[in-house]
Amino acid sequence: MKTILIMRKQSTYLGLLALFILSLGCDKDDHPITENPDPEQPTAVSKYIISANPVASEGVADYLLTAEDLSEGTVTTEGNGVEQDGTYRYYVTHNNKFFSLLYGQGNPGAVTTYQLDSKGELEKISDFQSETVQAFAPVNDDLLLTKISRSDEAPYAYWYRLDTETNQFVDEGQINTKELAGNGELAFFSWITQVEDKVFLPYMSVKACCNDVFGTSHPDSAWIAVYDYPEMELEKVITDDRTSFIGRYFNSGLTVDEKGDIYAISSGVAMNNGSPSTTKPSAVTRIKRGTTEFDPDYYFDIEAATAGYYITTNTYAGNGQFLVYMQPVAEKGPYATGKSYAILDVYEKAITWISGLPDAKSIVSNTLRSNYVSEDGRTVYIGITTEAGSFVYSVDVDSATATRGLEVKGGVITAINKLESTE
Amino acid sequence: MKKDIPGIRFFVLCTLLVLICGSLSAQVQKTTISGTVYDVQGSAIIGATIKVQNQNTGTTSDVKGQYSLELPQPGTVVLEISYLGYEVQQKKIQVGSGQTAKLDFTLKESAYALDGITISGKTALRSVKEKAFNVQVVDALQLHNTTLDIGHALDRISGVRVRENGGVGSQMNVSLNGFRGKQVRFFIDGIPMDNFGSSFQLNNIPINLAQRIEVYKGVVPVGLGADALGGAVNIITRPQTQNSLEASYSYGSFNTHRFNIYALFTGENGFFAKINAFANYSDNNYKVEVDAADINTGAYYPKQNLERFHNTYHNESIIASVGVRDKWFADELALEWTAGQNYKEIQTGARIVSVFGGWHRRGNILMPAITYRKKNFILENLDFRLNGHYNLGSEQNIDTLHRRYNWFGQYKEYPNAGGERSYSTYKYGNNNGLVVANLNYKLNETHSVALSNTTNTFNRKGSDALDPNNEIYEQPRITLKNISGLGYQFSPGPWNSSLFIKNYYQQNKFAQSYNPSGNYGDVAYRNNTNDFNSVGYGVAVSRFFTENLQVKASFEKSYRMPETGELFGDLINLRGNTDLQPEQSFNYNLGASYWWTFRDHHNINFNTNVFYRDAMDFIRPRLDKNQTMQIMENLGSVINKGLEAEIRYHHLQNIRMGVNITYQDLRNNTRYEQGQTIQSAVYKDRIPNMPFLYGNADATYTFHDIWRKDHQLSIGYNGLYVHAFYLYWPSRGSDKLSIPSQISHDLNVTFTFANKMQWILECKNLLDKKRFDNFSLQKPGRSFSAKIKYTFY
Repeated sequence: MKTILIMRKQSTYLGLLALFILSLGCDKDDHPITENPDPEQPTAVSKYIISANPVASEGVADYLLTAEDLSEGTVTTEGNGVEQDGTYRYYVTHNNKFFSLLYGQGNPGAVTTYQLDSKGELEKISDFQSETVQAFAPVNDDLLLTKISRSDEAPYAYWYRLDTETNQFVDEGQINTKELAGNGELAFFSWITQVEDKVFLPYMSVKACCNDVFGTSHPDSAWIAVYDYPEMELEKVITDDRTSFIGRYFNSGLTVDEKGDIYAISSGVAMNNGSPSTTKPSAVTRIKRGTTEFDPDYYFDIEAATAGYYITTNTYAGNGQFLVYMQPVAEKGPYATGKSYAILDVYEKAITWISGLPDAKSIVSNTLRSNYVSEDGRTVYIGITTEAGSFVYSVDVDSATATRGLEVKGGVITAINKLESTE
Repeated sequence: MKKDIPGIRFFVLCTLLVLICGSLSAQVQKTTISGTVYDVQGSAIIGATIKVQNQNTGTTSDVKGQYSLELPQPGTVVLEISYLGYEVQQKKIQVGSGQTAKLDFTLKESAYALDGITISGKTALRSVKEKAFNVQVVDALQLHNTTLDIGHALDRISGVRVRENGGVGSQMNVSLNGFRGKQVRFFIDGIPMDNFGSSFQLNNIPINLAQRIEVYKGVVPVGLGADALGGAVNIITRPQTQNSLEASYSYGSFNTHRFNIYALFTGENGFFAKINAFANYSDNNYKVEVDAADINTGAYYPKQNLERFHNTYHNESIIASVGVRDKWFADELALEWTAGQNYKEIQTGARIVSVFGGWHRRGNILMPAITYRKKNFILENLDFRLNGHYNLGSEQNIDTLHRRYNWFGQYKEYPNAGGERSYSTYKYGNNNGLVVANLNYKLNETHSVALSNTTNTFNRKGSDALDPNNEIYEQPRITLKNISGLGYQFSPGPWNSSLFIKNYYQQNKFAQSYNPSGNYGDVAYRNNTNDFNSVGYGVAVSRFFTENLQVKASFEKSYRMPETGELFGDLINLRGNTDLQPEQSFNYNLGASYWWTFRDHHNINFNTNVFYRDAMDFIRPRLDKNQTMQIMENLGSVINKGLEAEIRYHHLQNIRMGVNITYQDLRNNTRYEQGQTIQSAVYKDRIPNMPFLYGNADATYTFHDIWRKDHQLSIGYNGLYVHAFYLYWPSRGSDKLSIPSQISHDLNVTFTFANKMQWILECKNLLDKKRFDNFSLQKPGRSFSAKIKYTFY
């Protein structure tokens, strides 16, 4: 409790009257005023941080819940959890710190940083103010964030470098996205991926005007802007005409594997005036380690391999294997969320449907970019909400099978992270 | 004891009005009697009835106890004067042609305080309270010696919470028994205030404009032809009876200036002219406690006490009217012109963390209006009223500094064109028109029928000089709204009942964009039309069980049509949603009032009310897809059960005090959220970010004749309590954000010199407590103000 809901003594007779009426009127479902009921703490060294969001029409905040085990048990938001201020939040863990970012409606928002104390409880370290950004990713010991213009009158993207030791911005800069695109439209970065000592920023080309902000007349190309780091000077733009743009709005499509090769996933969802306009299917391409060109010999057509499905988003497990979210091509949309799951093996160019998950039609909501991958890269934990409730499923990558685990009551799971306790 | 019948009261009141009007219309040459009515202590008696015996002439004494009566012809007359609780007095006087005679009265208290006199002695205030509807009345005259605006006067009523974002001119949102925003409708003299723009709003109209403010809770009478979901507020302006000229000016903390001048001229042949001009200015640079971020590193300096630096507000408005009264063709025919402008700097977004240094808004109002009233219109006992206005004003949003500010007032400037939130100089006019017509037919003393119709038009046109070719600004945004109501009033004996039916109609014309060819860049617009038609109904009943005890019950099925702002956006922070459907509510009220007088002059009035609201398709805000603006949507349903109570006491003209309290149990009644078959985790949870327990206490003591006969001093206190509430759903989480309990104490001292000049000193939030409102935005701390008011005549 940040402010305790207890009457002050000086509130005189008015207060007494108030208390009287309150005592008459309080219902059982008013949240009781109690201290955190957690008498004994095991000597936990790590905890999963589950972000949950109650489904409601208004007054919605995220709650951070902690759990020791994702494979069983129950956690609830009822009278439990650290309330997060603001509706739209994104979470990222880096250097064993948990960052809770407010998407501040175009305004700066507070980013709250937590770590796990020796008792295994979330401890707020600090707040700092951040811009509203559309892409953020760990790079070295930093978080690199970009705020990207969607207006051709102000064709600039701003980047910010956050030092995760001090929790302060240490550098920032500006990128002219009209010059970068060079085709009359603006470049809009889908996400940020560190590749050795550089950062790769795949982008889509957007009109940024004319009531069709995210429409484009260049739907059939992929681009990656390559910047050196930390100077953020543009080295080159890599292009490929075999796919549409890589990644999606607010979604990563570029991954570096353990061998240093880079795999690019295109959803093939470029639009114009509200209709799909790309002729290129959802596909995987590659940039070989040490090169800054697409590998002309590598191409994997997802839509052909699955007979009519495309990838909406993905989580990299390891060893060339991704957990991918799939959706029928007929339902293609730039912001759609796939509800069928598969394991994509980019080495084998194979895609396997995952068994043991709820039917796509019954899924109400699912976690997207904030899934948790076990240290060995063999298990991916995802959150799925169906009409029957919200559960964490653990997906065994090798067998492409899923098992239902932890139940989260009173909220949909928006992210799964893990922290080690600090001493 | 004489049986007191509400119907007769009303009849007598009406008759009295007709008598007054009749006497005024008959005048040829002015023969006047004027004077003051005092009690034995020498205090003015307000609302005493002065009647000329055997003539149809009469009046009532005003707030200073003064009256002025014009006689149809010179000669000797007998004046009869009466007031509730006082003995009737008669005095003979001779008045020559064109003369003005002066005649003061001192009334003795009646041994049988309530005997017989109630019929004529009742104030307008009490007769409103006695209506069958659940209505509460603020006597604005008593607040004229404060620096309040109308919005803040409402804050003192049980069941009402005025929520605002900051100081003078800040956005104000009134919540009434759990309904809020546009769900509560506002009227001036029965005319909806929907179209007035930002230059004429509750928080910039001085209290001096009003005579009283009526607050209808839950059930709204037909005469106020509106689609209110949860109630209505009707501001009754001061009656135009005699020449007057008064001016007031106040200066206070945060460089706040308020100026008001009121002038009324009544000439020959019923001609009158009126001017009400007011201006407010404030730097609003009060301090707030914020976590201020470094402009470059983002690091917070926690709990800094910093001045708001971009918060200036000013508005200037003038309402001028000319007309005639008491003609054969009209009881009143008036033409009115409202002109005004306002300027407002925007310091923060919805939350205190987002801070701006250049973004501002301007607005103006240019509104001609016409009023026509006629009793016995065509038929005997048929009263007709017609009002119309058209607002030619415009609003502009100016955001042209491409900067990022922090709370220290530092900023980063970006090289290219842009804005702090969105680059804009968009200017638009809503071209609102309104016609209200009311017919009231009194069949006899127990039966009457009322018919009312309100038509509202809206046609937004605008452009942005920064983007002159944007076709979207050319598209239609047109609304036609029509609310008609039929009411029947039946008042047998101690009963007073009202039965009504209302028809709500709205037609919206708007454009949807589409691509006609499928080719790149082609955008065309296709016009759409939506029509809604719904029928609501209600009943209100009251009964006097004894002379002093009244019980009221009312029910209404009410609708509210979506506002034009909700449909088409305000192009600032609210995105339009043309898919909105009307929201509806079943409202139930049960209340009782008790008046008690003991030991002659100790008067106690007790009011209590329980209410129940069952609302569906609630129109509520959520963030839009781009998360840059709010959008209104039909979301879920709520149930509100509540209780409010008020006790008021007054003794003669010396002591007035009261306390009120409201508890409302506003619960989420949406059992299944969209796409869910399991019960919502917040089903039956208390709606968050809404105060649910709050109250007011006030007391005034007046010393009469403090050093001279007509010098008086009064000391007033007002206290406000709001119980703590949660920002988000109460049942969720253990480490929660809340808005703490708030208590504030205001004091004021008023000196009145010879009923001419008043000096008022006021201190608000005496203990300098932190006060918060919407989403924990901080309000001003302790402030002082001084006001001088001079009444020329």
